[in-house]
Amino acid sequence: MSIENNSTSSIDWPAKTNHVPKEVFEKEGLWEQELENIFYGEEWHPIVHRAEIPNPGDYKAAQLGEINVFAVHGDDGEIRIFQNTCTHRGTSLVTDSSGNKKELECPYHRWLFNLEGDLVGCPGEREFSPDFDKKDYGLLSLRVEAFYGLYFATMSDKTPPLKEYFGESFYEPLQRLLGGDGRLNLIGYQKVVYDCNWKAYCDNDGYHGALLHKAFAMLNWQGGKGTQIVTKNGHLSFDSELTMPDHVDALEDGSILDFKGTETSNGSIVLMSFPITVYTKHMDMLNIRYSFPKGPKGVEVHYAYFSHQDDDDEMIKHRIRQSSNLLGPCGLISMEDASVFSRIDKGNKTQGDAIFQKGVEDEYAIPLKVGQTDETGNLARWERYRELMGFERRAK
Amino acid sequence: MSKVSPANKELIEDLNSEYIAALNDFNMDNWLACFSQQGQYILTSEENIRRRLPIAFMLDDCYARLKDRVKQVMEIQYDSSEHYQMRHFTQLISATELKTGEFKANYNFSVYYTPRDTNQTETLCVGRYEDTIVIESGAARFKKRIAIVDTNVLPRYVVYPV
Repeated sequence: MSIENNSTSSIDWPAKTNHVPKEVFEKEGLWEQELENIFYGEEWHPIVHRAEIPNPGDYKAAQLGEINVFAVHGDDGEIRIFQNTCTHRGTSLVTDSSGNKKELECPYHRWLFNLEGDLVGCPGEREFSPDFDKKDYGLLSLRVEAFYGLYFATMSDKTPPLKEYFGESFYEPLQRLLGGDGRLNLIGYQKVVYDCNWKAYCDNDGYHGALLHKAFAMLNWQGGKGTQIVTKNGHLSFDSELTMPDHVDALEDGSILDFKGTETSNGSIVLMSFPITVYTKHMDMLNIRYSFPKGPKGVEVHYAYFSHQDDDDEMIKHRIRQSSNLLGPCGLISMEDASVFSRIDKGNKTQGDAIFQKGVEDEYAIPLKVGQTDETGNLARWERYRELMGFERRAK
Repeated sequence: MSKVSPANKELIEDLNSEYIAALNDFNMDNWLACFSQQGQYILTSEENIRRRLPIAFMLDDCYARLKDRVKQVMEIQYDSSEHYQMRHFTQLISATELKTGEFKANYNFSVYYTPRDTNQTETLCVGRYEDTIVIESGAARFKKRIAIVDTNVLPRYVVYPV
């Protein structure tokens, strides 16, 4: 893939690295370039955790860019990810967002695939082309790697192995976020479409100034010591201690904010993998936010919540109450995030640049060493985006 | 289970009307008054219910949580989001009386919302209520109202209970 050949649209990029031109959120034609250069490029995208499809035949539909895919748990225990299409005439094979099938049958001409993706039956085979061989018509599978039960897919053969792609600063906290051993149970979803460009979602969902969250002050809730680590290829990890107040006067039922903790817990972990996915462990909430841009406008986010297989009934109940009420599009500490997405989207339809300030020491550098609450953690991601899209940065 | 008397059915319908009026008027005290002291309110998706997944969008499983919901809307997040006007349209599907003297009621609902910035009306969600109702001092109150949205993917954000 040549970036030059795909550069149908260009953006005049400011020389200062903490400036992002607002037209990057709005300009027509960019989405198609982003699909080719980023989503279908050398990136890993999380699709499913084993806990979401724990039994043979369980499947989950998703999107990678604009390509419909599904993950399915095979009879052999393996989880595979296929493009959601019959290899005959292209009909979708699964239509629900999740379910269980013994085999995958296309209703159109009754081509039949097993859960491992092999074509095992196709009526009227004797009348097919002379060279027809069922072996050549297995489902289109994606390259997959798993990390503690979380399955990532990539469209490229050149994408580095998963651990190399993420680096230890990302995968070590991800392991803790996945309960330490990945032995999780799914406890449910919250799904929402945010009203903004996918890159505005990236800038603001993972971490932002606590000033937005009035609840933090009302609950007398202070963040503890922590770190923010950025990788050169744009992944982010925040790892913080949580200092919870002894008593929450502002609420009648303060138990919703209890931090029961586990041996793998350090309070708060927020991760963001390039290009778009956020993973969080706040208090006792284990949460993966599968995110699907709806083209240039709108991002569908599926908040998946988990418990750990070793949890007792009390801990499971606590995780359910906390997860349901604190995060997501209605949450006590995150509903306003969603509201801000809409406002940012409107604001981006104006001239000028969006500017990052907190933590900037050199306006012409891409900092990889950043403070816990600095905005500058976003800059490596933007630099990688700019490079992948082939946009020239203006001279200093 | 037995058929509900016309008088009790009227009490159930009155309660639903009070509930809708409270939300249309953003009167969260009146919303709280629709619940008994054992009251619970849950807003969840059809997908979570179908798959027996207990996570909800709002999970107020005791009266203290209901009071905290009022505080969240009226104080904690009062100026954090853009206000939108809601309109509920409901339809009673069934009402039955249990041997315990409690009542079960099922409603369909559709909820539209109109944000002040766009002044365009869109669908917030469509779904059903599954209610457990008690009659206290001559008035019906929710022991439990579960709002289950067919709209598994909600638009933007939801500030107020549905």
